[in-house]
Amino acid sequence: MAGMTQTLAEAPTLPMTEAAYLPGVAYDEMFTAEGDVRTHYDPLHARMSTLGAEELAGRQRTLERSFLLQGITFTVYGAENTTERIIPTDLFPRIIPAAEWARIEAGLTQRLRALNLFLDDIYGDQQILMDGVVPRELVLGAPSYRREMQHLYVPHKAYANVCGSDLIRCQDGQFAVLEDNLRVPSGVSYMLANRDAAKRTFPGTYRAAGVRPVERYPDLLLATLKSMTADWRSNPQVVVLTPGVYNSAYYEHAYLARLMGVPLVEGRDLVVHENMVYMRTTTGLRRVDVIYRRVDDDFIDPLTFRRDSSLGAAGLFNAYRAGNVVICNAPGTGVADDKAVYAYVPDIIRYYLGEDAILPNIETFLCREPRQLQHVLANLDKLVVKAVGASGGYGMLVGPHASQAEREAFAEAIKADPENYIAQPTIQLSTAPCLVDGRIEPRHVDLRPFILSGEKTIVTPGALTRVALKRGSLVVNSSQGGGSKDTWVLADDQGPANGSARP
Amino acid sequence: MMLARVADSLYWLGRYIERAEHLSRLSSVMLNATLDQTDAGAHAVWIAMAAVGEPGDGAGVASFEAARTLVLDRQDQNSVVSSLARARENARQVRDQITTETWERLNLLYLKVTDPRAGKEFSDSSSTFLHDVIADLHLFKGAADTTMSHGESWRFMMLGIYMERAQLVSRLLEVCFADSPRHGRLDDHVALVSVLRMACALEPYLRVYTAEIEPRHILEFLVFDEDFPRSIRFATAQIEQHLTALTRSVSAGERAGPERLAGRLKARLQYADVDELKAVGAGPLLTTVVNECASIHEAIYETFVAYPLEMRLPA
Repeated sequence: MAGMTQTLAEAPTLPMTEAAYLPGVAYDEMFTAEGDVRTHYDPLHARMSTLGAEELAGRQRTLERSFLLQGITFTVYGAENTTERIIPTDLFPRIIPAAEWARIEAGLTQRLRALNLFLDDIYGDQQILMDGVVPRELVLGAPSYRREMQHLYVPHKAYANVCGSDLIRCQDGQFAVLEDNLRVPSGVSYMLANRDAAKRTFPGTYRAAGVRPVERYPDLLLATLKSMTADWRSNPQVVVLTPGVYNSAYYEHAYLARLMGVPLVEGRDLVVHENMVYMRTTTGLRRVDVIYRRVDDDFIDPLTFRRDSSLGAAGLFNAYRAGNVVICNAPGTGVADDKAVYAYVPDIIRYYLGEDAILPNIETFLCREPRQLQHVLANLDKLVVKAVGASGGYGMLVGPHASQAEREAFAEAIKADPENYIAQPTIQLSTAPCLVDGRIEPRHVDLRPFILSGEKTIVTPGALTRVALKRGSLVVNSSQGGGSKDTWVLADDQGPANGSARP
Repeated sequence: MMLARVADSLYWLGRYIERAEHLSRLSSVMLNATLDQTDAGAHAVWIAMAAVGEPGDGAGVASFEAARTLVLDRQDQNSVVSSLARARENARQVRDQITTETWERLNLLYLKVTDPRAGKEFSDSSSTFLHDVIADLHLFKGAADTTMSHGESWRFMMLGIYMERAQLVSRLLEVCFADSPRHGRLDDHVALVSVLRMACALEPYLRVYTAEIEPRHILEFLVFDEDFPRSIRFATAQIEQHLTALTRSVSAGERAGPERLAGRLKARLQYADVDELKAVGAGPLLTTVVNECASIHEAIYETFVAYPLEMRLPA
């Protein structure tokens, strides 16, 4: 990889702080290894330079206050009482040039197309398993595999209607896919809220930069959901299904329902009668045609899946099988974002599309393979190990940052259940400038773009950039103290198309 | 058409908003009345506490502590802060139904009363604190009125507001004018003015009756006035109006419920003989209003929220 042996030039200085900005060995979004500002960051850098520390702190407070007031919060369960907190939101946008975005867009479209074909296949004739491209037991033995989905027709073969893949930029400046989220990915409301905030914070810079808008997401989502019904032009009743007000992503569920103009329902609002789904309204029962569910597979229908769940509706899955209601994303999509299946995605793309993956994977070791297991156990101090079934930054070991005792304990867990673990080399995520305690400092970031797939596949020109707010940390999950920032995708790398830039 | 659960939340959102405003006003008037060293001050405290269902023995009530509990005690289910927390919890449940402008007013107020510094602010200047809470609630209602579509969502919320108001005003008047007031007859000028203030009615009353403050006129005004938004008659007319609009879409079979009850109550107040109303002896009428409101509440539930499913399944 080029750039691996990068030596630090003199640290670039941002005039508004006394302290210099000191990027580490990772790729920095704003500065080159030589300390020059990357061209697409010029307008923002110029603007940052005119603002004093106090001005920045004031804007940061205004921003946080605005999030709190709007109720853009997630719920934290404490010993004493339950509180709502905002996800820390950084003032400075992260900027992606048009040419880079074009590659990301093509890569993600290709990836989701292949994954949807994969889902269609494994819930159909299972050709890919018979051809031995992906191990049969890996797919059929995965907890997220839903036998109930066998031979079920899904329009446009669009199993994952909403996908949020996590990308990272490696030391050589190239983007790679870290993981796919095909179940109920969240964060899109933060993308939209961050954009609103950034427009208010840096209006002149925003206009001058020529940024592609993200605000059409809700109506594109609605169109995608409607396209999943056979006769979607006859105005089907769409609803958003939420686990309820105590779910940590509740804000997002309510936000999407409000912006799509559709009811936000809970399981207790739904009734299934003779394989039709209804919601209880003030004027009686009303037919439901499409459910954008933000409830995990396990909890959709206590008759089919978990019996102890009251979040879904009894009989919902049968109504779905009967073709009387659409569930988005389709149940069982989780098997395609399984951390072990991930290792095979480049092969999956080649198998169905006859193309090489545009966006590379991170090198992944499967502990289920004895030789790879030996390698993992011998190199725990260099690797990141993840439990296949876990998410949200739980059940993982960051080898270089763990103690000897932690590594030993994890080694035992891996040996006891090797099928449940994968490992990847520790990747230096790229860094971007963030305002931390009144100073501008580099922090590691990743990128979660959102892809819609129905009759058409659309990549929203923007993303949620997640930030690891602890110095040096590589963990960006909000449940692990991460924050977020707005992501500007430039319309044209030559500057705004319509006339000269104004300050 | 809206979800039954959502209608329920909007209705309670309205009720808790109105309750919070009423409690804030009672506390404010009570604290103000005790600034002057008169017997009437104690009387006002007794009325306020009785109106919220905690009459005490009337003697030596520590009004400041009582008010503090009434406003800021989160353990107390009936305090201002509890009411606002419940209003907000309901608003969060129906966040997709109310406008951002409306939500922000309520959320701001919630953050203010639950802030760790709220206790000190209340101690330092309780009248400013309460004044601001009431003003913020007016802003909430103003935002709802001017930004929400006056459709089903808004109507359920208004229904909650007027249901709560009719009951709270009836309860206040019952305490003051029922047959055998425990605290003796209410005839002191200062105490009577406090009652008008508790109903937010002093200025509008003066414009109708001038500064002649008489129990009979207060009753007349707060029960029968056609135009005053806190009179029982006005509130029941609103209840009836919102229910008429809401039941328009419910099939004919179910129409008899809450709308008919509200219409009957409205007519009773509309055609009552004002001259027959005496300051002593208003008890039965006020009790009737309280009971009728309870029946309307139940009928609202049966019609819109907790109806039996078998009745509504498609044939």
